[in-house]
Amino acid sequence: MRGHRDLTLASLAAVVCALVAALVPWELIRLVAALPLTLFLPGYAIVTAAFYERELAPPKRLTLSVAASLMVLVLGTLVLNVFPFGLRTASWAVFLPLVVIGVCAWAALRRGRPSRRPRSLLASLGRPTARTAVLVGAAILISAAAVALAQKPLPAKNADGFTVLWMLPADSREEAVVVGVESNEQDPASYRLEVSIGAEGQSQTEEIELDPGEGETFEVEVPSPPGSRRRVVASLYREDRPGHLFRRVTRWLPRQSTFP
Amino acid sequence: MVSARRTKPKTAKAKAAQRGRKRPAAPGGEALSLPLIALIASVGLLIVSVANALSRATVAPTSLIYWAGLLIIALPIFYRLSSKQPSYRERLGLVLLLGLALYGVKVVHDGNFFTFTDEFVHAFNAERIAETHHLYAFNPMIPTTPRYPGLEGATSALMTLTGMSSFGAGTIVVGAARLTFMAALFFLFARLSGSARGAGLGVAIYTGSSNFLYWGAQFSYESISLPLMVVVLMAFAEREAGPVQRRAPWTLLIVLGILAITITHHLTSYGLALIFVALAVLYRVMKIERPNPWPLAVLAAVTAVGWLLIAARSTVGYLFPVLGDAVEAILNTASGEAPPRTLFHQASDTAEQVVATPLPARALALLAVAVPGVGMVGGIGQVWRRHRGEPLILLFCAASVAFFGALTLRFAPAAWETGNRAGEFLFIGLAFVIIYGAAELLRSGPNLQRRRLLLTGALGIVLVGGTISGWPWDVQMARPLQATADGNEIDSESLALSKFAGDRLDGSRFAAPEAEARTLLHPGGQVAFAGQGPDIEDIVNTGELEPWQLPLLHENHLPYMVTDRRLNSGDAIRGFYFTVPGEYGDELRQKGVVHKFSRLPVARVWTSGRISLFDLKDRP
Repeated sequence: MRGHRDLTLASLAAVVCALVAALVPWELIRLVAALPLTLFLPGYAIVTAAFYERELAPPKRLTLSVAASLMVLVLGTLVLNVFPFGLRTASWAVFLPLVVIGVCAWAALRRGRPSRRPRSLLASLGRPTARTAVLVGAAILISAAAVALAQKPLPAKNADGFTVLWMLPADSREEAVVVGVESNEQDPASYRLEVSIGAEGQSQTEEIELDPGEGETFEVEVPSPPGSRRRVVASLYREDRPGHLFRRVTRWLPRQSTFP
Repeated sequence: MVSARRTKPKTAKAKAAQRGRKRPAAPGGEALSLPLIALIASVGLLIVSVANALSRATVAPTSLIYWAGLLIIALPIFYRLSSKQPSYRERLGLVLLLGLALYGVKVVHDGNFFTFTDEFVHAFNAERIAETHHLYAFNPMIPTTPRYPGLEGATSALMTLTGMSSFGAGTIVVGAARLTFMAALFFLFARLSGSARGAGLGVAIYTGSSNFLYWGAQFSYESISLPLMVVVLMAFAEREAGPVQRRAPWTLLIVLGILAITITHHLTSYGLALIFVALAVLYRVMKIERPNPWPLAVLAAVTAVGWLLIAARSTVGYLFPVLGDAVEAILNTASGEAPPRTLFHQASDTAEQVVATPLPARALALLAVAVPGVGMVGGIGQVWRRHRGEPLILLFCAASVAFFGALTLRFAPAAWETGNRAGEFLFIGLAFVIIYGAAELLRSGPNLQRRRLLLTGALGIVLVGGTISGWPWDVQMARPLQATADGNEIDSESLALSKFAGDRLDGSRFAAPEAEARTLLHPGGQVAFAGQGPDIEDIVNTGELEPWQLPLLHENHLPYMVTDRRLNSGDAIRGFYFTVPGEYGDELRQKGVVHKFSRLPVARVWTSGRISLFDLKDRP
């Protein structure tokens, strides 16, 4: 590829992007590296190898580069899936630069002797005026604000809030249960949680206050004599309606593990 | 605008003279430049986002804000595209801006989660690929989808390389595909019509296709396969227009495209094969002097059928009954044996009592069919006169006529979806033909400015009307899936259940109503069954435990049963949002849908009041 600056740059960029995407821990930086590696460079290499330099106008070249990159990604999944290691960070980080370097080498062979420096895609866009930069910058900021607003959960006062009660064995030995209460209510609420074990009604009570979005869990020992199973019932009452059962969950420990 | 005349190549002298000349000012002194239009479009997007935010805040805003935002995005672009002034590159920039901004409308609909029906299914597939590092993991909702892993595979590449979720990576991949689609359609129309102005208007017309704004922008396999198909068509058009000795590069792209589409989406691969077969036949019948594209037809057909037989046999059981039902429904409706479907009727009979599409909106949707009809009538004669020797353009003409034929499928109850899906493919041909109708309207002469305004308005009607007929009226704007209360985040019931299952029951198998099954798939990441295969739908709907129900759950190894008293949990579009009393989601099923399991008795492990999760294997 000596003398073919664009091909050398593309190959180098693929390797650097792959290394950054595979090794750097920060998602944003990995994204900045992975975007050209996945959505531009493989297609750029293919288009550069397939077409002569002057054959395609820059916009068409750019479009085809992205399109061909998508095709490479799609077909690359089939290729990588054949191998035992499959589709992993490392396999993509090796496969994509290999495609780019391989196709760039093919492009260099097809071109033969280095020609004069090709015009880069960025240069073909021209330099923006100050007015253009300001308007486009403002457009990007406003669009980002629109997306940020869409990502922000908002108060929804008319939506029905609710409280969740759940119960699961604490671990595989099934000698205790974990009971959880989670509030997705619109306002803070107070509850009374009663956990009763077995027919004799051995029970435990907890007073709970939860803000919206808050949850609490309790671990309750369930002593079971060997060979016997015990029913565990967790009942939740709201403080404002103490006599009215609000939620109830049940379990039998140890778990039967057969269908009725 | 669109003209059969060919201009001679400019000499260096002529080019130099032209560089020295300024473009004449447009009539009316047009001040709209691409950067300014981009700014206006971003304001439109912000307005749409505000309308969605008000809707999520259950403030019940007028939907006029949302539609105004949509029109603020599109109308300046339409108007500018109708002008003679912009250069080729500016027109390309305008259509890319249009595509990006309209994709933005979908993105700001739900900024944190996939909420469109098929998105849950494909996001589950993508997450499975990222977890297992291999393709073809089982999908309980649509078992065919893992067999067409193109989109999910591409998305998983971005996921593994960046650490992003399937939502973030999928949004980027579909966005890239969408921009590719807009640019490739522009190049295709420009090549075939010989006019950049016509090409820009053609792409603008296509945005009025009923599935363009939402359905075609969701994280689903068609959202990448359709753009790739347009790239293939564009490459074919370029190949045919160039010298014979320079066909190889385009052929390479076409072959890559055919292979990529084959493993990405069944219907698109069959459609593409059909197009190439039709082209091969037309080349033969019309005695076209250029080489016949039969090798491409063979490749497209063999790969599509080969993939179906080797890797995706389940497609036969998934797709062909739907097409069979569609044919039967057409015959029944045509013969009067079955009543026709009522337009604007909700597809799901388990849906809540949704707000009906208002009459003005219905009128607009019908007008959005009539306007292209007029455009086609105005354009098809021109196309025939100028291009009847071009097989691809003749196919476009046939597609434009077939589009209106496909519309009649909307009157047959089981065929409306087939007609709806076919529409987005056929609309490509229709948009091309309408270019020539628009060209007639924009001929030089008096009142050009008014005619441009008329065309801009007509395009606005097609966009808004298409959007109304493509996505239910009541969910055009977002509903709350997450909200804040006292400064903290709270989740909808379906979302809370999916998070619990993901955190505490990972690796379990669930039977659930449609809405919960989808959220359990994604973001829950669990194997969840719904619908009729196996018949979970009847289990979650009936108030009595019938003798077949427990054995069915046992046979399918489904120990976790989700019951939901909310009627709209059977609705894959609306069921997973917060309930808003008096507005949506507050109709209930009979108590028996829950009590039949608690009476067995089996363990109830999770409850939010209306939704309960039973562990059928935990019993006395």
